Amino acid sequence: MEILYIWPNMPVLSLSVLIVGSMVFLFLARTPIHNALESLTDGSSGGLQEIANWAYDFAGKIRERDRKVLLESGVTAHKHKLLDEFQRVDISFSKNLAEYPGLQRRLDDHISKLEADYSECGQAVPAAPGWDDAVASIAKLSGTSGDRVIEKMLTEIHKSAVDGEKRALSELRSTTSQRHKILSGMATTWKLADKALKDIGEKISSVLETSERMDKYMTDFQKINKGNEESIDMLSSRANRMFIATSIVMAAAVAGAFVNFNLIALPMSEMVPAGSRILGMPVSSFSALIIILLEFVTGIFFWESIGFTHIIPQIGMMQRSRRRWITYLSLFFLLLLSCVEASLGFLREMMAEQAAVIEQQMAGAEVAVGDSAGSAWAKYGQAGLGFALPLILAMTMMALENFIETSQHAASKLMALIVTLFGHICKMLSFILGYIIKIIMHLYDAYIIVPLQISNLVTRKAIT
Amino acid sequence: MNSLNAIKDRSRRRCRGFSFAVAFATILLQGCSDNAAYEAAVCVLADVSGTYADEKEEIVKITKSRIVSKMLPGDSLFFIRIDSNSYNEDDLIANLQLDYTPSKANQQKIAMGSRLDEFAQAETRSRYTDISGAMMLCTDHLNTTKSGNRILFVFSDMKEELKPNLKRQFAADEFENIHVAAMNVIKLNADSANPKVYRDRLSEWEERILNAGAHSWGVFNDSARIPDYIQQLR
Repeated sequence: MEILYIWPNMPVLSLSVLIVGSMVFLFLARTPIHNALESLTDGSSGGLQEIANWAYDFAGKIRERDRKVLLESGVTAHKHKLLDEFQRVDISFSKNLAEYPGLQRRLDDHISKLEADYSECGQAVPAAPGWDDAVASIAKLSGTSGDRVIEKMLTEIHKSAVDGEKRALSELRSTTSQRHKILSGMATTWKLADKALKDIGEKISSVLETSERMDKYMTDFQKINKGNEESIDMLSSRANRMFIATSIVMAAAVAGAFVNFNLIALPMSEMVPAGSRILGMPVSSFSALIIILLEFVTGIFFWESIGFTHIIPQIGMMQRSRRRWITYLSLFFLLLLSCVEASLGFLREMMAEQAAVIEQQMAGAEVAVGDSAGSAWAKYGQAGLGFALPLILAMTMMALENFIETSQHAASKLMALIVTLFGHICKMLSFILGYIIKIIMHLYDAYIIVPLQISNLVTRKAIT
Repeated sequence: MNSLNAIKDRSRRRCRGFSFAVAFATILLQGCSDNAAYEAAVCVLADVSGTYADEKEEIVKITKSRIVSKMLPGDSLFFIRIDSNSYNEDDLIANLQLDYTPSKANQQKIAMGSRLDEFAQAETRSRYTDISGAMMLCTDHLNTTKSGNRILFVFSDMKEELKPNLKRQFAADEFENIHVAAMNVIKLNADSANPKVYRDRLSEWEERILNAGAHSWGVFNDSARIPDYIQQLR
């Protein structure tokens, strides 16, 4: 402080002179300093504002790109779905419609048989018209004429009429029973016809179901193809759900790979003994890692070859026979790796057991290899685990394609969020800096308030 | 004919591309290969002079259970006796470099255990205590290994008594890159009477060892800490 004193013996006077001098100087320098501060505002606050605007633009571009990628992948996925569905429809139609003429023919046969039976039922012998009434009248005349010859004749007529009626009745009975037989035979045909109709119904409903599903896919496809907000939201939500699900699968795959690595790293040192290291890792551990990576690769090839995933388009475009070859080869290598790992798992337990025995022997205990109880279970358990893990790891690769696609969307979303946040921070800093500079300008004016007011009075007087 | 040539060209290009890819992968792997030495070389000095000679069995027990059993494939071990004139190859009782194959390494460990047991049972007792000579012999052997972690354990009361004609002077870089630890330092009668004697003796050793370029110096009386100590230095 004392360094500021002009006259060290008179501090008050020194300070007063200093304050007044600085006031006069700052008053005279007011305009350039104000200009400098305004330039500083424009430069810093404006610069930050520009950065914020750039960040918002960049975030917008990321979102737009993500939107395009979502649409593109959505359209591609729906195309694949539709293609698959068309193939399924093709197979279903060829199968169902191939059976349809046979069913139709069977139904026609049943209907013809029914018609024939029906017409047969309708063939009945009609009774002579008025015959019954004539017999009844003649029967009433009997015993009224008194002539024996007439009486006898009438009796004979009556008798023959009664006999005829009896015969007709018996004939009617036999015809009716025959009709009943035909009708009961028709029931089976009815049932067969009913079954054939049901079969046709089922085939048609299956075809209709497929058509409905296709209709739904087609509607979705049209919606997505339009690229409106609704479809983007739908795709985004689906991608988010898929990302969470596939992330869980991938996390499980990584955990499984870790377990697998620990299972085979030790026995690999017995098979690949070397002192050198790669990336700080012993060659044996590196080899174990390569085996696990090979399992993943085999899994990817398997799912590609059966057309479940489309990560490597070249495989998808291959002929069916070649793809089948890849499928068989992948399965063969996968089983081979599983067997290798099973044996390594077995070996690991043996090595661990031997190491434990040596440790105990070194500590002074008298133990022999094979003394540890339950070691057989542990050996077979580890061998089983070694066999199952490669297959499980290969299976998890079916989620890889979806994970890659959806993680792209998730990364874009995260990136856009971070960039937007950065923009907000820049904007906030810009405001804060602008206000701080304004406050500094006001404080500056407050410091030189006395010469400023005098100047105002003088200029006003001069003006008046 | 043209199409046949085109196919031949394409297959030749593919072969060349494949060869390049294989060569590139080999170079990449070679580039990634790590030349750092991760193996550990341990040297154990066992004092057989005076009263400390009674600790032989204990030293062997500790060496077997805390050092040999925890050694990894590729590690080395030198077991040296401290007697009247320790800078002598005859004092190298056992020397072991473990094979990188675990099963062979286990067999080597068992053989090493037997040799150490023989040493424990042998009647050996010396009049003088040449700790410095044993340390120098140990350094010579440790420097022959390519191990990245070199550790020297001294099982002694740390009271040096040299023969009149012996000269022991450490070089300035005698213990360069070596971690030195005094183990199981028993207290002598004079130490019990005046702890300052014991502390001063250890301080003197610390100064001598560190001045000779040792990476670190430590005193452990609990042998259970040895495996952790070695693991920490790896």
